[in-house]
Amino acid sequence: MLELDAAWRSSLTSLMATWVQKHGGARGDTEPRIEILEVEELVEGRPGILDVLANVDGELAHAVLGLRTPGEEVRFVRSGDDAVLGLHEDALGLGMVVDALLDTELAPLVLAVVTGDGGDPGAVSLIADDDSGLTLLFSERYSLTVFPWLFDRPHPGVELLVALDEAGFNHLAAPVALWRRGGRDLGMVQEPMAGAAAGWALALTSLRDLYAGDGPPEDAGGDFASEARALGVMTGRMHVSLERAFGRRAENVAARLDIVATRLRTEDPSLLETPGLATVVEALRTAGTRLTTIRTHGDFGLERVARTDQGWMVADTMPGGYRPGGIGPEFRSPLEDVADMFWSFHRVALAAALEREPSDFGSLIDQAKAWEARNRRAFLVGYLATAGIGGLVPADREMVRNLVGVLELERAAERGSRPGD
Amino acid sequence: MTTVPTPLNRGDGPQDPSSTWFQHAVFYEVLIRGFYDSNDDGTGDLRGLREKLDYLEWLGIDCLWLLPFYPSPFRDGGYDISDFFNVHPDYGTLGELVGLLEDAHRRGIRVIADLVMNHTSDQHPWFIESRSSRDNPKADWFVWNDDDQRWPEARVVFTDVERSNWTWDDTRQQYYWHRFYSHQPDLNYENPEVADTMVDLVRFWLDLGFDGFRLDAVPYLFQADGTAGEHLPETHAFIRRIRKQLEADYPGRILLAEANGWPSDVADYFGNGDECHLCFHFPLMPRLFMAVRREQRYPITEILSQTPELPPGCQWATFLRNHDELTLEQVSDEDRDYLFAEYAKDPRMKRHMGIGRRLAPLLDGNRRLAELLYSLLLSLPGSPVIYYGDELLMGDNIYLGDRDSVRTPMQWSPDRNGGFSRADFAQLYLPPLMDPVYGFAAVNVEAQQRNPGSFLHWMRQLLIQRRSLPILGDGAMEILDCPNPSVLGFVRTGVVDDVTSTSTAWRGWHGDEPETGLGWGQWGWAATAGAAEAAARPPSRTQAALCVHNLSRFAQPAELLLSRWSGYMPVEVLGRVPFPVIGEDPYTVTLGPYGYMWFELFEPSDDEEAAGM
Repeated sequence: MLELDAAWRSSLTSLMATWVQKHGGARGDTEPRIEILEVEELVEGRPGILDVLANVDGELAHAVLGLRTPGEEVRFVRSGDDAVLGLHEDALGLGMVVDALLDTELAPLVLAVVTGDGGDPGAVSLIADDDSGLTLLFSERYSLTVFPWLFDRPHPGVELLVALDEAGFNHLAAPVALWRRGGRDLGMVQEPMAGAAAGWALALTSLRDLYAGDGPPEDAGGDFASEARALGVMTGRMHVSLERAFGRRAENVAARLDIVATRLRTEDPSLLETPGLATVVEALRTAGTRLTTIRTHGDFGLERVARTDQGWMVADTMPGGYRPGGIGPEFRSPLEDVADMFWSFHRVALAAALEREPSDFGSLIDQAKAWEARNRRAFLVGYLATAGIGGLVPADREMVRNLVGVLELERAAERGSRPGD
Repeated sequence: MTTVPTPLNRGDGPQDPSSTWFQHAVFYEVLIRGFYDSNDDGTGDLRGLREKLDYLEWLGIDCLWLLPFYPSPFRDGGYDISDFFNVHPDYGTLGELVGLLEDAHRRGIRVIADLVMNHTSDQHPWFIESRSSRDNPKADWFVWNDDDQRWPEARVVFTDVERSNWTWDDTRQQYYWHRFYSHQPDLNYENPEVADTMVDLVRFWLDLGFDGFRLDAVPYLFQADGTAGEHLPETHAFIRRIRKQLEADYPGRILLAEANGWPSDVADYFGNGDECHLCFHFPLMPRLFMAVRREQRYPITEILSQTPELPPGCQWATFLRNHDELTLEQVSDEDRDYLFAEYAKDPRMKRHMGIGRRLAPLLDGNRRLAELLYSLLLSLPGSPVIYYGDELLMGDNIYLGDRDSVRTPMQWSPDRNGGFSRADFAQLYLPPLMDPVYGFAAVNVEAQQRNPGSFLHWMRQLLIQRRSLPILGDGAMEILDCPNPSVLGFVRTGVVDDVTSTSTAWRGWHGDEPETGLGWGQWGWAATAGAAEAAARPPSRTQAALCVHNLSRFAQPAELLLSRWSGYMPVEVLGRVPFPVIGEDPYTVTLGPYGYMWFELFEPSDDEEAAGM
């Protein structure tokens, strides 16, 4: 940890203000209040690398700053990107400060710090950069994710990933190294997921094919059912592994239904009039089943999974959006993840319809509904056939279907659209 | 515009004299009976095939694979052989066969023969003698048993026709073993006389000049209690024995195994490079068809990821269609149902455990899709095998029995009988196609040769481009990450002879037409002003090709992670058009519906060469 004098602290605060602007930190009109908390010198000299933690309006910001000699030629991983943050003067003189993760020469040095592997990791390319994390790929050998905003405790997504890996769940990019300091996760290195395409993109491919014809989804060449079934199996395995890793609890189905009812009443009361809902809810209440709850993914859906040559993978275990403080590691019925996935089936069917017929997507509703229904069924067939899932969801298949349907309505109320609309 | 077919002028002898020629070769599977009838008797023959060598040379294939030409009662398309050491009289004589081989070799075309080692026809004198009693000299040349209960683990291959692998023989009062039709008794390889005779058979045909064999039904040669009777160690030992003969006395000749199985199992037939030179990659073929219907690459990339590394000096043989049904043995029940639903909507299209259709009707006549599939076939690892007539997008006749649906006469011209034969129509071994879409009036060699925009010309150009990229034969393959699931991109790399690899770039930029007298096969450019430059180059260099395919019927963007090729310049192979230099960012290519592109990647220092300067 570096000791900072006042000048240095002031300079870093100014640089962090620029950094925060580039990372979605400045909200509202007022200047963010920035307090430098820690500075770790990862690489000394020029080029040098500083790892900076700062309090920004109560949130924990994490910047990896590169110090370069002014005038030096620098290549960035993203062309046209202004990764230069400003100038900084220290004992070595004036330095140009850049985002080290976007610097093709400095990013491998950060990787080396995390992995302890100083070998040449090969060419670096930028895979993703948003406020939940920046991910770099190194010649398909390593994938480095660095979190710009930190939890003041272990990152729940990292925790989930590591637990799944240790439980033997192999449908994910295996963690290679974790970057941790002071009980916080700063980043991690994974094996890259070769040949991956997002589940959302694959579903869109199927829907484009469907909408281009006028037949039912089972007759379309791009039928998604076999993929949905395999996705169900993968999801089932994920839940069995999560139960193995974190254990199980229980909740009363009636209590959960109360929450759903309240949410529907608050968000969109018209959904309470959904045909058949009252009967289904009554049946669920009467059954009085206690639901097994486990640590779930928490933000599941086609966007969070990827198709590879090895089958379906969980591509993203970082639920909760771009900032810490969102969804926490709560225990829920695994059927909540299933409902999230089904809700994404609905969203993608709608998105594809809007893409094809922006002004008349209603003409595709019947096909969309058929596609959703077919793939929900296929998903459940795979999910419920997974070894070990029987202990985590109600034994009555009808109850499973009804419960997931009700939970999906809750998603519709929260997000302003209705399944099947 | 009329294009006069001009031979590629490849000169005498094999084009590629190396012992690994088969790794770069394009094979052409030909049914002699259906290719060309030279004597007007309604059946194609050896002299007819010889007369059409001009065409095959022009097309640019490297090796002919002759379907069985042996005497046969033809109850299984000639795979029921009644004399292994002769030519069926309908096809000609041994002398005519030798003439065909010599003429083909003069044109740089090799020839391999189908060799059915597992069984004979029940009309073969060996079987007639064997079944006559239990103590005749050939009594143990076939597999006999008192009951039909032995080897229950062995599956029945043709489940729609045969109920058992055993058939009762009234004369001998015993059951005989057959893995295929009951009229095809299996030879008994436990009998050393049989094994020795089959080795003599191999030598006989190699001495006549064949360049190798396609070994039919090779997994079934031996049986053993408690096994499925496939892929047994004794079978591999026998193949090694044949290979040893080839290595000792017939270098450069090859064995191509027909073993319909999972790649990891079939790879056993390569041995340690001491069994077969090539094995068919059966599971890839249905997955190519599946991928284009599903519009995603995963059926292809999954099977490739499960394909083991080849031993040195070996190669996969790949194909889209052949003389049999489009076999669906190597797919799951679910995928088989899917493929039947997509490609065999009429139940009459089904044959055994597959689909009895040719390429063009399978694709509903979609030329773009046919081009895409051939682009895949010719750029993915393996030596491609083209089935006769598929270079024209010939059709089929699903109303013909068994696999005759895809064995109709070659369509040479719009004349009587499609130019195949001047015999009376009723004399023809099978009726030629006469429907308005695929009939010989619409689809034939003559018309397509006259039309530079035809599929035939496109195919010929693709074969030329493939030859300019030898690494497509034996180069390593790296599948590229691409977020678009409908796009399959890969890079093939390897070390090639420098003259071979650069000449096409030169030719393209100097506007040299392949049909002109320069003769691209001779690399005539070396005699031009470029010769000095060529002489100064190192003898070999690394070649890299980027191949991108859109498996969707809609246009697609392809963002390819190519940063490891940063600084390289892709030059599109067909048009020699330079594309923007690859950088660190994902490389974007836009592909039309079922679009494909092949690029040669040139190092920064090669820019001038790529640009033809």
